[in-house]
Amino acid sequence: MPERHWRTPLDAEKAVRPKAEIHIIKDQCKGCGFCIQYCPKKVLEESDEINARGVHPPRVVDEKECIICSFCTAVCPDFAIFVKEKQCKDGC
Amino acid sequence: MEMAKQEIRIGVYVCHCGLNIAGSVDCEEVAKFAASLPNVVLAKDYRYTCSDQGQELIKKDIRENRLNRVVVASCTPRLHEPTFRKVCEEAGLNKYLFEMANIREQCSWVHLHDREAATEKAKDLVKMAVAKAALLAPAEEIEVPIIRKALVIGGGVAGIQVALDLADTGYKVYLVEKQPSIGGMMARIDKTFPTMDCSICILAPKMSDVGHHPNIELLANSEVIDVKGYIGNFHVKVLKKPRYVKEDCTACGDCSKVCPITAPNEFDAGLALRHAIYTPFAQAVPSTYIIDMNLCLNKDEIMVCDKCIKACERQAIDFTMKPETVELEVGTIIVATGTDVFDPSTLPNYGYGKYLNVITSLEFERLINAGGPSGGRLIRPSDMKIPKRVAFIQCVGSRSNKSGRTYCSNVCCMNTIKDSLLIKEHWPETEIYVFYVDIRAYGKGFEDLYKRAKNERAIFIRGLPAEIIEDPKTRNLWLIGENTLLKEPYKLNFDLVILSVGLEPRKDSEIIQRLLTLSRTQDGFFMEAHPKLRPVDAATGGIFFAGCAEAPKDIKDSVTQASAAAARAGILMAKGKVTVEAITPVLDVEKCKACGLCTKVCPYNAITLNKELKRVEIVEAACGGCGTCAAECPSDALTQSHFTDEQIMAQIDAVTEHDAEKKIVAFCCNWCAYAGADFAGVSRMQYPPNVRIIRTMCSGRVAPKFVERAFARGAAAVLVAGCHPGDCHYINANYQTQKRVERLWRKMEQNGLDKERLQLLWVTAAEGERFASKIREMQKLIEKVTMEEIELAKRVFAKAGGA
Amino acid sequence: MNTVKAITYKEALAECVDAEKLKFCFECGICTASCPMAELLEREYNPRNLLEKLFIDTERALTSDELWLCAWCYRCYRRCPQALKLPEIFLHARRFAVKHGYTQPFKNAVKKFVKASPLPLVAILTCFHPERAGLDLNTVLNETEQLRMEFLSEKKEKMEFIKGKVAVIGSGPAGLTVAHELALKGCEVTVFEALPEPGGMLRKCLPSYRLPREFLDKDIKALETLGVKIKTGIAVGRDFDFNSLWDEGYKAIFIGVGAHKGRELKIQGTKLDGVFHALDFLRMVNSGEKPNVEGKKVVVIGGGNVAVDSARIALRLGANEVSILYRRSIDEMPANPWEVKEAEDEGVKVEFLVSPKRISGKDGKVAAVEFVRIQLGEFDATGRRKPIPIEGSEFVKEADMVIFAIGEAPDLQFLPKEIELTEDGTIWVNPLTMETTLKGVFAGGDAVTGPATIIEAIRAGKIAAASIEYYLRLLG
Repeated sequence: MPERHWRTPLDAEKAVRPKAEIHIIKDQCKGCGFCIQYCPKKVLEESDEINARGVHPPRVVDEKECIICSFCTAVCPDFAIFVKEKQCKDGC
Repeated sequence: MEMAKQEIRIGVYVCHCGLNIAGSVDCEEVAKFAASLPNVVLAKDYRYTCSDQGQELIKKDIRENRLNRVVVASCTPRLHEPTFRKVCEEAGLNKYLFEMANIREQCSWVHLHDREAATEKAKDLVKMAVAKAALLAPAEEIEVPIIRKALVIGGGVAGIQVALDLADTGYKVYLVEKQPSIGGMMARIDKTFPTMDCSICILAPKMSDVGHHPNIELLANSEVIDVKGYIGNFHVKVLKKPRYVKEDCTACGDCSKVCPITAPNEFDAGLALRHAIYTPFAQAVPSTYIIDMNLCLNKDEIMVCDKCIKACERQAIDFTMKPETVELEVGTIIVATGTDVFDPSTLPNYGYGKYLNVITSLEFERLINAGGPSGGRLIRPSDMKIPKRVAFIQCVGSRSNKSGRTYCSNVCCMNTIKDSLLIKEHWPETEIYVFYVDIRAYGKGFEDLYKRAKNERAIFIRGLPAEIIEDPKTRNLWLIGENTLLKEPYKLNFDLVILSVGLEPRKDSEIIQRLLTLSRTQDGFFMEAHPKLRPVDAATGGIFFAGCAEAPKDIKDSVTQASAAAARAGILMAKGKVTVEAITPVLDVEKCKACGLCTKVCPYNAITLNKELKRVEIVEAACGGCGTCAAECPSDALTQSHFTDEQIMAQIDAVTEHDAEKKIVAFCCNWCAYAGADFAGVSRMQYPPNVRIIRTMCSGRVAPKFVERAFARGAAAVLVAGCHPGDCHYINANYQTQKRVERLWRKMEQNGLDKERLQLLWVTAAEGERFASKIREMQKLIEKVTMEEIELAKRVFAKAGGA
Repeated sequence: MNTVKAITYKEALAECVDAEKLKFCFECGICTASCPMAELLEREYNPRNLLEKLFIDTERALTSDELWLCAWCYRCYRRCPQALKLPEIFLHARRFAVKHGYTQPFKNAVKKFVKASPLPLVAILTCFHPERAGLDLNTVLNETEQLRMEFLSEKKEKMEFIKGKVAVIGSGPAGLTVAHELALKGCEVTVFEALPEPGGMLRKCLPSYRLPREFLDKDIKALETLGVKIKTGIAVGRDFDFNSLWDEGYKAIFIGVGAHKGRELKIQGTKLDGVFHALDFLRMVNSGEKPNVEGKKVVVIGGGNVAVDSARIALRLGANEVSILYRRSIDEMPANPWEVKEAEDEGVKVEFLVSPKRISGKDGKVAAVEFVRIQLGEFDATGRRKPIPIEGSEFVKEADMVIFAIGEAPDLQFLPKEIELTEDGTIWVNPLTMETTLKGVFAGGDAVTGPATIIEAIRAGKIAAASIEYYLRLLG
């Protein structure tokens, strides 16, 4: 399409986005980094802390960006990460 | 070969054309002179040769005097050549044995006040024609079969109409559309002028007809990537890009709802969001959803997200789809590629792209459309409120040298009038101002609509704003300009400003131009074969135009042109065959050295190099007949029928036989330069009589040796004239002209000759004055050329010219 | 009956390359709406109209005062959809008019201008350029002086008296115009100038070959005879607080501080000896401190009027070789096209589509500048094409002196917070009234528009003065 789109679409605020709740079982992580590498929205990064297995588990950068594709769960060899959709209460 | 042995018997007819010719040329004397020329068995002067009696006279002479060549000295061959050719045929003479001398447009009419010189010039012109006639050969026109299938490129309203018309006639049609859905610009517009019909309501049925028609194969989300062949026999490759959704899709939209990725929807001019899996709009055809792979998370066959797959009950989503190339054989191609809109962010004084409440007319269409992002409420993007004061600014990106778009975009005036009425219809209290320079309401029902807008108190102010300034607090806009009718400055405040943006050639026009070897006008739109009489034909045979690809036009004109294009293509396909004028090149196999130079200059790719046979091969049906190959061939292996080297050389020799040092030899292409010279005649523009015009189909036919021959025989000056670069009727053959002339200039300079003696002129058929003033200018030039210089040129070119 | 053949535009504009383009004017009015002179003189000057007259009734155009009122700012040309160079078209007509003795209209034009604006001598020297049309500059200046005296003595007899003290910050053309206009109305105006002498950019930066200072002095003196007080060497923010002006009884304030802060380029080597900011360079020259330029190779970076002035001065000071290097093409160059042409005629080399990458030095002194060639990409939001460096096209240009003239911005730190600025760091004003977001405070000139021409500053001052007058009347 030829036109340049510089405006924020009018319905940008109305767009429903899934609200994610990312659960990381830190001590189960062995630090392979797959979840960080494969996350399509780059929601995760390596944290500074050291877990029971002596590695850096991932940390959530911005939960709002997560689209709950659950690919992290799929690639995690140690079942150390899963995502749930936040149940919507008032004000979410 | 039989002809060659036969005795040549030429009949010459000098026409008075009432007093049109006889008024400044002594026709009797010319006829007497013609009778003295070699091979001429009879020469007559006659009042109106083109009359029935005149025609009968020629027929009778052919039969009774066994004439085997006929020369008529009268008006331009562009007018009556077909008439006299028919006369010859009816008398049993091959029509290619006829020749004309143009002593009206290019002699009597341009030298009204110099009877003596005009008569001398007429004699020369007759002598040239007789010299050429002696060398004419009979020719048969060839027939080419036509495949009865059509390709339509572009699925806007024009493409849809062409496809439906042709399919209804009974031809198979392939409709290729680049976007996921057909519909084009019209699908994006809310209402149409002047009837105020709902645009999509009248388009959608047509779109769905296309989808269901048994004779139409719709290739959406596809692009033409290769075209080979020629009129009647095109071989086309189409790249069909994957949709990643199978045709099982019911367009329920469940997939789109779960897709987590969003982006601005192009269809809504970026004013609304869409998902990575989407359909551009509700009425899309095909209705099958599509996945935008630039957005989807599943790249490189790694399945990251499967939400849509899970949501789709029919299991229509298929990420394994691959692009495929479809090969088509078609007889005709219709180009309906449409248009782009001007991007006003290049005009900083209007602040588009910076000020939220400055929108384009296309954005307006989406805003006012009930199916659009705001549900049909015209809102200000800054605060979603309904504006109370609205301004339209016309000619944004039209009629402007600065933006490089000097043409009128044709639809914006009426579109604005329609838009103002739409606003008034919904919110009658809105104050509407239209800033314009000229309102063009020229079509059926347009003036009434304009009156209605005025009646509804839309205020029209003549004078465009020089700048728009935004009030940062209210986001209102100050328009500062001059009311040029009152000669008073204005500073007016508005809630919303709509820039009535112009239309421009599609940015991908160049690809289509290259694939189909088309030409474009200076504005960048595709050029038709003739602006009046062949307005939907491309210069390339078998290709037609419909809609805005050819020039900006409204829906009605697009549809009209589409039906016209369908009819033109239908005529070809109904006949099933086409004849090609016998002016194609003939190859002398013995002489061909397989250097391949001709293949490089041929604008139609009609010559191919056969490496095995060590020679080139000519596809006559694809040939346009410009003759630039014959001009290029270094070994004289190619000859253009009816414009052979011998014939042209004979014309040059005839011109230069006497008083060559006072004459200008001019080579003019049939379409622009020769027509321009004719136009000078029709307009009675007077110029010096020392020029002798030799007609070729294209200036690309003018071989350097022709120019050299003219100088070698002592001509004072030579003029090579053709169409403007880019306007060439043989796509780009005149670029070869330029190269050849430049080479000759260098040669002249190296040999101490004044290169001014060889002039190159680009002139259109309408630029008679340009032609005339060139001849006046050259007359001054040849008066200064000395005998020494003439002799020097003779020596320099003696060998090459072979005189 | 008049048997004399009427003059046609073809004769009058015989030497003008743009003459044929006249036919393509669609009278959209953008030129007039953009023209500061049209606004200054309201109904007395309309370039669109003049152009039309020139085309269809050439004789009338040649005898019209309007022909002499174009002030060469080129604003019309930059916006004209047909890209007509109005100032140059008018110049050819002016030359023709002078040659055929139509000089009375010029005198009338000056008379009109003197009535409408202060600084007539400055304007004639820097804006109207009668010498380009072949008039004798000294005669013109003397006559103008005379006309001004007549006008002022006439005016003084019937002056109004509006109550209210007005403070003008900055004594550039915008500030002086406000002072002039309000003084004529009987206001008590005080002008504050941070520099030791009044004139702003006119004194600090304008090369003396363009504006001999005696004429500036004359123009300012004429103002003072109207009762305008000019306090020099006093800077707001440094010597006193902005808000203290209210306490001193000023009812309205005009800010015309100009744009005196040179923009900086973040590349290597800008701290080397021999690297100057154009404004500093011009100030040094104008204050008599002659930078040693003789025999040197000078490189000026930028494409505005300041760049052109700097280059021409460097050449006048005896530089061996002066070049201007600009990163876009000639069409985008903000400098006055005529001045660029003159600079080139004098021997300044202008190179387009190049951008500096680093300055290399030797012993702490500039030795060379490395440039990279640029190609222009898509249009950006400012409507100019985005410069994109071409990789591998770097070249080195020897230089003993580098002058940066890549734009100037106003220094507005002294302003109270209530006065809002634009994204570009200039003062936001209501375009109709020149009022800022703080009540009673008005602004104009380069501080609002960024670097622009003298005539545009005068126009802004004129509008602001009218608004201030209205404001004061409302106050009663």
